[in-house]
Amino acid sequence: MKKQYISTAIITIVILLTGIIASLEFHKMHVPEPLYPSEGLSSKRMLSDYFPGIRGTNGDTEVYIFDSGKPGATVFLAGGTHPNEPAGYIASVVILENLIPERGRVIIIPRLNNSGFTCTDPMEAFPQSFHIKTDKGVRRFRFGSRATNPVHQWPDPLVYSHKPSGQQYSGLESRNLNRSYPGDPNGSLTEKVAYAILQLIEKENADISYDLHEAAPEIPIINAIVYHEKAEDIAMYAILELEFEDLKYTPELSPKNFHGLSHREWGDYTETRPFLMETSSPVQGRLRGKTNEELILEGVSKNYKIAKETGALRIVYRDEGEQLNHRVGRHLSGFQAIIRAYNEFYPDNPVEIAGLPAYSDLVEHGIGCYLHNE
Amino acid sequence: MLHVIYTLILIYVTFILGIEYLKEKNWKMQVAIGLVLLIFILRILHIK
Repeated sequence: MKKQYISTAIITIVILLTGIIASLEFHKMHVPEPLYPSEGLSSKRMLSDYFPGIRGTNGDTEVYIFDSGKPGATVFLAGGTHPNEPAGYIASVVILENLIPERGRVIIIPRLNNSGFTCTDPMEAFPQSFHIKTDKGVRRFRFGSRATNPVHQWPDPLVYSHKPSGQQYSGLESRNLNRSYPGDPNGSLTEKVAYAILQLIEKENADISYDLHEAAPEIPIINAIVYHEKAEDIAMYAILELEFEDLKYTPELSPKNFHGLSHREWGDYTETRPFLMETSSPVQGRLRGKTNEELILEGVSKNYKIAKETGALRIVYRDEGEQLNHRVGRHLSGFQAIIRAYNEFYPDNPVEIAGLPAYSDLVEHGIGCYLHNE
Repeated sequence: MLHVIYTLILIYVTFILGIEYLKEKNWKMQVAIGLVLLIFILRILHIK
């Protein structure tokens, strides 16, 4: 009898310890890492200020406004639509922490799907976070989920029917923010967040809007700029200019019948000119192999190297790897090239910015040089 | 509502398992039940 009590006590203690450690790790996912906006920041709002229906929910997120005080165009930049695509999120953070507006305004939401940052996709072995060395220490960033946290929006329908087009997707896509535009004020949490974003774009009169992403090396739109038809001239001009930096981009016209995506619905429902950019990220791919923080940061995958060499698939993968510095650098240069192209076409209403590194700076000095700790 | 029903079922099953765990005399069986119990407790707390 006594022996039974001892084993019960030992096993109970082990269970409790395991539970406490797991709980603490879990709790970390719900604490957003601090961001340090540059001195160019003029005000900070919440997305719920544009649509109170998401106030107090996990879908609400910070909106950073950089206003030069001089008349000019308004730029809207979204990172973290898919919180498991680090380059999109980190590029928006680098811009947030270095941007100095000189004319016009820039509005940044680094964690667009805030709920997606509070969980990690199951069955994928993704790490919960990754770390970047800066001059004043190491900063931790969340590696979240592609979709809204199922605890915040549950259960998924068998088939997700996009509103208002009626286009059908798999049930999982009901939590994908980039299949939910233009959103619905009375819909699911994801649809409400999408609706709030449309309200922001409309109320702030955004002239240009960006949605930063990453995708697996075998996805056809890698290293592309996806644009709405009304922004074709700007996209082509920017792509030509990027060629001079030895950065090759494919122009991709947003399909008219592919509904729910930012590059389609932002342009259809508001006056803005939307752009979506993708980089090649082995950690997103099915062939990636060992999935860890190193793969996120260094992007080296021998499986993708082999896949590319076989020629069986169109694989965008560099032999030295797809480093996060390289991927974020592409987004930074793409962001600035589109602004320059916009200014060429609309010289009466330009937006001028300073303080941002280009691709070559990111590759030479690393992201850490452009992240701050205070 | 579905979420509440799900949580109530979890609590019920965890309670039954907890009784079995305390009654069990074989330590190997205790470990086995304990592992399942841990998962259920974490699920009730919405952890993983």
